[in-house]
Amino acid sequence: MIWQNYKLDDAISTATEDIRLWQTEKGALEISKNTLAISITLSNKRKGYIFHGHGKLLLDSIVETEEGAIGKPIEKEINEPFLMLGDTKEIQKNLTTASEEDLAKMGYENRQGFVAKAEDLCDQFFRGRVHSHQHFDEDSGLIFAFQNENSKLDILIAKGSKLVYKTKDIVFVSNENKVILKSPSEVVCTSNGKSVIIKK
Amino acid sequence: MFINVVFYLMNIELKTLNAELRSMRIKMSEDLNEEMKKLREELANLKEQLRSVMETERKRRRGIYIDIGNRVHDYIEDAMEGVAEGIHGELEKSIFIGPRGVRIIRNKEPYRREDEIKVSFPKVAEVMSALGHEHRLRILDELMSGGKYINELQEKLSEITTSTLSSHLNVLEEAGLVVQEKVRGRYLITLPGRTAYKMARRVTRFLERGNQE
Repeated sequence: MIWQNYKLDDAISTATEDIRLWQTEKGALEISKNTLAISITLSNKRKGYIFHGHGKLLLDSIVETEEGAIGKPIEKEINEPFLMLGDTKEIQKNLTTASEEDLAKMGYENRQGFVAKAEDLCDQFFRGRVHSHQHFDEDSGLIFAFQNENSKLDILIAKGSKLVYKTKDIVFVSNENKVILKSPSEVVCTSNGKSVIIKK
Repeated sequence: MFINVVFYLMNIELKTLNAELRSMRIKMSEDLNEEMKKLREELANLKEQLRSVMETERKRRRGIYIDIGNRVHDYIEDAMEGVAEGIHGELEKSIFIGPRGVRIIRNKEPYRREDEIKVSFPKVAEVMSALGHEHRLRILDELMSGGKYINELQEKLSEITTSTLSSHLNVLEEAGLVVQEKVRGRYLITLPGRTAYKMARRVTRFLERGNQE
């Protein structure tokens, strides 16, 4: 299947050790050993992966204001397949070809089972979105898409210290001295020590 | 005779000057008319533009008009204006925190006692209980100046053992007065934590003043 020129590779890999996919002062994302991976390619170049295994997302969606901290940290186990677009060089070093046994560990009877799930996720991510990252490369940062309990996608975009995290309830934007947190109860914006809190 | 010739010549000169003046007047009047015509056209143009802008704005406010076209910049500006209007409206009933902690609270809804009763007493007791220990108040006091790692707190509060410090921090965290970052591990005082700490100090100051009197 092809989504806006992106397609899935044929080979399925597995992580030979725990891999830290992303880490900054605000958050980190890690997958554990034995996590399955299938490459997403664009013009035969690897642009990302669909992972399925045990992952953990940590995100300090907290805004520090002069009146106290607002928000709370997010600690989320990721046991469903998720998508990543971004630099794949370091990750590739810690992947090896997956065996039937590796697939069975994640509950798949054969490779088709995992490929079907990965296709569903790609379909959900790419469908209806206008992607202009045909030139998406290592410098473009990282994009993660996680399926949430409502079968919608939570999106995390990170580049250096800048990040955007969007779920059904929360939008968290952090850019050096500027932080914005939108939750069901309030919107908080801080910029260079000045803060505005809007209670809903 | 000579004088007559001079007068005759002057007369001719005067007629020539008059003719020149007349032609200049005509020319100026034509120029002026042209200029006024241009100004009228410009005015009509501006009126038309203003009408179009006002119409667009009216449609935008009614939420039926989004013209992205090739003018993404305009679209973003429109969206930002909408957000600004929204924030302006929300600020009427919100809190503003300035660089020096200046706050404006404009709550137009009248005070109702039922709202206060909605806060459960066990929760109030939990918060008060979290405040009810000298060590915990000292932890909050340290955190008032900014987020700190546990070893920094340990240095400042050397008389508290590490395990006791951790258990106090847990109590404060459960009450929602303190939050710990998952990645860096710093402890931060929350907005309710800061408010509760200030309230505790204010009440104490009030009581002390009462005792002195």
